[in-house]
Amino acid sequence: MDERLEKALDFSNYMITLNNQKRMLKEKYYESLLYFSNGCQFTVTRELITFVGFLVDKGNTEDIVLTDDNELPAKIADLETFYEDILDVYFTASNEYNSSYEELKKNRKTELLVDYE
Amino acid sequence: MSKGAILIARNNGRLDYVKQAVFLAKRITHYLDIPVSVITDSEDYLKNSFDYTVFDQIISIPWTEVKNNRIFFDGSLAHKTAPFKNDIRDQVYDLSPYDETLLLDTDYIISNDLFKSCFELTNNLMMFKESYDVAKSRNEKEFKYISDYSVDFYWATVVFFRKSPEVQTFFNLVKHVKDEWNHYRRVYQIGSSLFRNDFAFSIAAHIMNGFDKGSFVGTLPGKHYYTIDKDILWQMKDDSMLFLVEKKDYLGEYLPILTKGQSVHVMNKFSLERVINEEENE
Repeated sequence: MDERLEKALDFSNYMITLNNQKRMLKEKYYESLLYFSNGCQFTVTRELITFVGFLVDKGNTEDIVLTDDNELPAKIADLETFYEDILDVYFTASNEYNSSYEELKKNRKTELLVDYE
Repeated sequence: MSKGAILIARNNGRLDYVKQAVFLAKRITHYLDIPVSVITDSEDYLKNSFDYTVFDQIISIPWTEVKNNRIFFDGSLAHKTAPFKNDIRDQVYDLSPYDETLLLDTDYIISNDLFKSCFELTNNLMMFKESYDVAKSRNEKEFKYISDYSVDFYWATVVFFRKSPEVQTFFNLVKHVKDEWNHYRRVYQIGSSLFRNDFAFSIAAHIMNGFDKGSFVGTLPGKHYYTIDKDILWQMKDDSMLFLVEKKDYLGEYLPILTKGQSVHVMNKFSLERVINEEENE
């Protein structure tokens, strides 16, 4: 095989694997952003954080109704605690995503991308 | 309220579901910290061959032969035909010793604690509707709808239920759909005569929702990640799994994908058993 083509194909395999691993990291991140409160499930998005932060800033902190991932209403008794919790979920998940991503990017060989040792 | 997980282990001469159940029970105990019971027709084999103390209760059922044969692939180049003993899932409502039950297939490999939250959520019945092919290069249409012109697909692989009159009605309806399978598969335009729990549960969900989409069946937390039986589970360590997934349009070629901290439905049960054997021998 032409050496130029062989090198390109090697790199192509590396890129497929890298993109697959990036995709799975992102999926794991989405799962890590789930927060459960009052029998309801919330995905901690920037929108949710901003909206809840806005309500807290305005002094609306008790018995606030939010809609969850299934668009069902959930009455949150203590919104300040809820806010702290979702911030914690967001930062924990995001920091873990970032460190895993940085680790992944360091690997320049296909086999290292899928090495879990 | 009592809570726990239920697994069904009925061997078919080709696949050792009992071995898979023992393996999964240990992982459920580790990640979810709930008791696990098993429904099996091979109690003696379980007790003679494995550490059966991983189970809270062993619910014994009679051994039966079934005519429901299907092909089980082991990667894209090998396959075996074996009986598909899947006709007892509708009875789990009555057989479960728990008020709140997490019913799992033995090839759904738990690798995180996400299902702990099932017991906090208010829905009395939850299944996966949204799924995610780990390979992500195949047509996923067959897992969106039960047939081209039919209703939403629900996975019966993992079912959470809380005992209540409505959920009992649902399970009784699944049993009815199973008993009248040839009628329902025609009504719902399912081409194959092979009985599948995914289809029966999906049909029952559609009926219980007033013959429409609806919220009777809630959504389990997270996504249903799966690899098909043409993929291969190659290695597993703690919460990491290395898969070789079928390369699109290249028969017999694979791509490696590593998952970490994600529970995955491993449909290639042969490769799952090889990995379990390797773990046991370590």
